[in-house]
Amino acid sequence: MKRFGWRFWSCLVALGLLAATLFQPRIVLPRPAHRYLVVIDITQSMNARDYHVPGWPGDRLGFTKASVERALLALPCGSEAALAVFAHKNAYLLLAPLEVCEHGAALRSALRAIDWRSAWAGDSHIAYGLFDALKMAATLDAVLVFLTDGHQVPAAIKDPVFRGKPGRAGGFLVGVGGPAPVPIPRLDLEGRATGFWRKTDLPHPIHSPRFRRQAERDRSGLLLSHRDENRLRRLADLTGLHYHPLNHPESLADRLRQAPAAKKRPVAVDLRPWFGFTALVLAFAALV
Amino acid sequence: MTDLGLSHPLWLLAWPLTLALLRYPGRKGAPYPAMAWLPVDPLSRKIDRLRRWLAWAFLSCLILALAGPYLKEQKVARLGTGAHIVLTIDRSSSMNEDFSGYLSGNAKDSKSAAARKLLLRFVEQRRQDLFAMVAFSTAPVHILPLTQDRVAVRAAVEAIDRRGRGVTNIAPGLLMALEEFRDRPVTGARVILLVSDGGTHIDQDTQERIRQRFRDVGARLYWIYLRNPRSISVLHPPKRNLSETTTPEYFLHRYFQTLGVPYRVFEADDPESLAAAIDTVDRLENRPLRYFETIPRRDLSAYLYGLGLILGLPLLLWNALEIRQWFAPKR
Repeated sequence: MKRFGWRFWSCLVALGLLAATLFQPRIVLPRPAHRYLVVIDITQSMNARDYHVPGWPGDRLGFTKASVERALLALPCGSEAALAVFAHKNAYLLLAPLEVCEHGAALRSALRAIDWRSAWAGDSHIAYGLFDALKMAATLDAVLVFLTDGHQVPAAIKDPVFRGKPGRAGGFLVGVGGPAPVPIPRLDLEGRATGFWRKTDLPHPIHSPRFRRQAERDRSGLLLSHRDENRLRRLADLTGLHYHPLNHPESLADRLRQAPAAKKRPVAVDLRPWFGFTALVLAFAALV
Repeated sequence: MTDLGLSHPLWLLAWPLTLALLRYPGRKGAPYPAMAWLPVDPLSRKIDRLRRWLAWAFLSCLILALAGPYLKEQKVARLGTGAHIVLTIDRSSSMNEDFSGYLSGNAKDSKSAAARKLLLRFVEQRRQDLFAMVAFSTAPVHILPLTQDRVAVRAAVEAIDRRGRGVTNIAPGLLMALEEFRDRPVTGARVILLVSDGGTHIDQDTQERIRQRFRDVGARLYWIYLRNPRSISVLHPPKRNLSETTTPEYFLHRYFQTLGVPYRVFEADDPESLAAAIDTVDRLENRPLRYFETIPRRDLSAYLYGLGLILGLPLLLWNALEIRQWFAPKR
């Protein structure tokens, strides 16, 4: 006759596993993890106010930042995010990829510090910026999330030739703003509104056959801006990015979280739930 | 209570299973012919009830631990002794030029790559300090507010050797860096660590404003000057041909000397300069400083596993004490 029955042994193993959890068992496994390069347009059209979601900022840049913040919070731990801003023709890297849980606080304070006044030029050449950002994403081994309203200034510039593989990039082109044209506030360096941008504020178009498209335009009145879906969809098709209109912050968070992670990266997997689960089964068997 | 959350709340659905404990005895029955004959033993009843509740608490503990309770991220007051350092970094196009100081070894490295190496070392050695980061070219960019998250600071520093754009416009960068200290209690030495290849003219009004701000917030200025071989040394300037257009860095140096706050320049091509810069920051007197930091959410399941272990031990003892057979089997 054995001294102890199976109930005792399973209870003992369960307790042993529980004791093991106290040593924080971890194993490094390749797991699918996201790594995003978030590029935010900080040109002045992003100051236009056309969001009306209660409890969220009304201006495009504020709404974008809040949405990205929400999306970063929703990413599973082990995912990484890099931050960059876009103005003129380039993306400007602010933060190299950073893990979103452990360094989430710093990542979000950096995100909140993004300001339209950091733009190094007033123009915004969307296609140039997007292609530059794609190159940056490739060097960082990250998936691009490019957030812009698609408002191009000057309007009639010739788009550059896309030199990557068309339709291959993967990533997101997020269209910011509303479908209806709204005026763009003109802010001073302290952030106070001093009126709206007018078409006459733009440099005078050159009258030549080559620039006819711009010359024909109406040259008076307010400078209006809307989410330029045509341009954005065309660029998304060309590069292979997924176009995503930003209407509500939750939708972006879901989209980024549910996107299949491009690569497996070594992530430290916590073994405690496995230990705990086995202990639970054993203990249940032993005690019932 | 709103600070608590569960990362896998679905585990709670397993909780009703624990109620089975109150129904089933959890041990082998010992067949005995005449149970009714035995008197009621209140003590045994109590012990049995205690054991069941203990088992129930044990299993509940495990299920709750599996559900992954955590404390949401919150601000905590911390006490530190480090300096507050705002890394103010030049990211203008001139930083793309070659730098042939000691750090690079070969002249192929750009100045920004040299600055990156240098700052990574600096950040590595100053473990107590709070860092913020401002980059400037034509316009200043506020990259990272003051934080003690070293990995985040490293990530910000690692981003600087990307291709720089625009002109060197130091004044707005300095003003933004000074802004970082505004409305904060002075609790540690304040340092603005300017990393730049110099070469800019600051107009008289802005010079006055910067001087005023420096005095208001009581910040020190350390300038790590990235010199390329053709430009002059600001510490040992040539005797002739000094003018604002050809050697603006010398005049910038002269202007910084008039700020009225402690100021030093370190020339990065001198092997000892980085060590000297770190030493200088080391010697700064720091009062213990209180600050608030947002700490990431904290996993609480470890406590529940520990509690489960404690609750489980008496149950194990109970099991060990169990008499599994009333009579010794016949051989």
